[in-house]
Amino acid sequence: MKKIHRTQLLRHTVTLVLAVLMTGCMTTSVEVPTTQFPVPLMQQLPVRMGLYLPEELRNYEFRQDLGDAGVFEIEIGPAQEAMFTNLLTGMFAKVVPASDPVTFDTLEADAVLVPRIAEMQFSTPQQTRTDYYEVWIRYDMALYNQDGTVLVQWPLTAYGKANTQNYLLASTSPTLTQAALNACRDAMAFFTVQFQTLPGVQQWLQATTPIQPPTNPATVQGGTS
Amino acid sequence: MIRSHTESSQPGRNPRLTGLVSTARVAFFATLIASLGGCVTSTVQEVRQASTGMTEGDSIVILGRRDRPSNDETELDFIDCVSANLGKGGTAVNVINEQAFRDAVFPWFEPRTAPANTSDLPELMATPVVSQRLQEIGLRYLVWIDGSTVRTDSGGSMTCSVTTAGAGCFGFLTWENDSSYEASIWDLRSGNTVGRVSSDAIGTSYMPAIVVPLPFIARVQNSACTSLAGQLKSFITNG
Repeated sequence: MKKIHRTQLLRHTVTLVLAVLMTGCMTTSVEVPTTQFPVPLMQQLPVRMGLYLPEELRNYEFRQDLGDAGVFEIEIGPAQEAMFTNLLTGMFAKVVPASDPVTFDTLEADAVLVPRIAEMQFSTPQQTRTDYYEVWIRYDMALYNQDGTVLVQWPLTAYGKANTQNYLLASTSPTLTQAALNACRDAMAFFTVQFQTLPGVQQWLQATTPIQPPTNPATVQGGTS
Repeated sequence: MIRSHTESSQPGRNPRLTGLVSTARVAFFATLIASLGGCVTSTVQEVRQASTGMTEGDSIVILGRRDRPSNDETELDFIDCVSANLGKGGTAVNVINEQAFRDAVFPWFEPRTAPANTSDLPELMATPVVSQRLQEIGLRYLVWIDGSTVRTDSGGSMTCSVTTAGAGCFGFLTWENDSSYEASIWDLRSGNTVGRVSSDAIGTSYMPAIVVPLPFIARVQNSACTSLAGQLKSFITNG
């Protein structure tokens, strides 16, 4: 009986040691949820805005190997459709989804917005000696005319952070997910305040014939209003 | 089977079960002692700048400052704790959940866009859709909370070991936590700051260990929360 007990104890000890050693080479993979993007509360601009989300944006996944700290993967692409659809739904009188950049001229839109993620970075609490995971996203935004020419191009940098102390046992996954989600919300907030201040956009808005805003709110995908 | 089990649980009849009962008693008293916790000293202060009051349909929201580049954000559970304490009891006030509020008025209370001072309120309220939404939810007071709980001191040592004969710890640990929070209350109807309430709490926790560690936890943050919520409720409703 005592021998069996010792064997079990040894087995558990070995398992524990292996688990501790494996944390050094584990992969943390998180995905930004698609249901957490509110529709902005603002006066809609009286224009029809097309939205084209390139394939590389829809499938964007950030991956970084931090050596002993492990590999970190942030799947941000799948959330981009809900994020940009809700963003534009709140900002513009009409949102027209575009499936192909070649067919912009057949769209009933005054312009087409094409966002791309140019760069993404993140930092861990170990790197910054704080309790925070931080995420930066740099978007390259482009506004196209119906004939496919670029009206305006501008960078949009977003930032999000989340405190590990807000999560049970300072867990990595929920904190990192929240930091990435906060970065996406920041991108939306920045877009709403930045868009109309861009000189090229102001010229385009002045030159565009305003449309009557719809009496019924546009369809909202996966967000709260 | 049940009866047999009940009978054998009587002390004195079965030495093995007697031992279990003794262990349960020790665990009970250990839990009782631990629940007493360490000592916490808390102080609450308020500064009133204008009269307050709430009518039926008025609501309040408690928000933590999320401005950059601070790395000292107010904990989410502290905000939840203050909100929950304000929303219960005899003089409960209608409290809107922080995240629900941020979503309802998105993007105007995000870290990048949130008003820093009451001087930013007129511009925000001038946006028809925003003022209409705030009226819909009946928001009267907006309470910004700044501060956090930090560990200010720690000492002692503890050694734990696991052998084939068993496991145990020996030593003594102590640590001191300091909570410091300040609530700034904005009246959306007048567009002014009506006052400030601050809550400070400090407490020392202990953990002696002779085989089994016995934590005497000082619930510093909880103390700061209940003090702040009580004072806030009194400040708003009895103004």
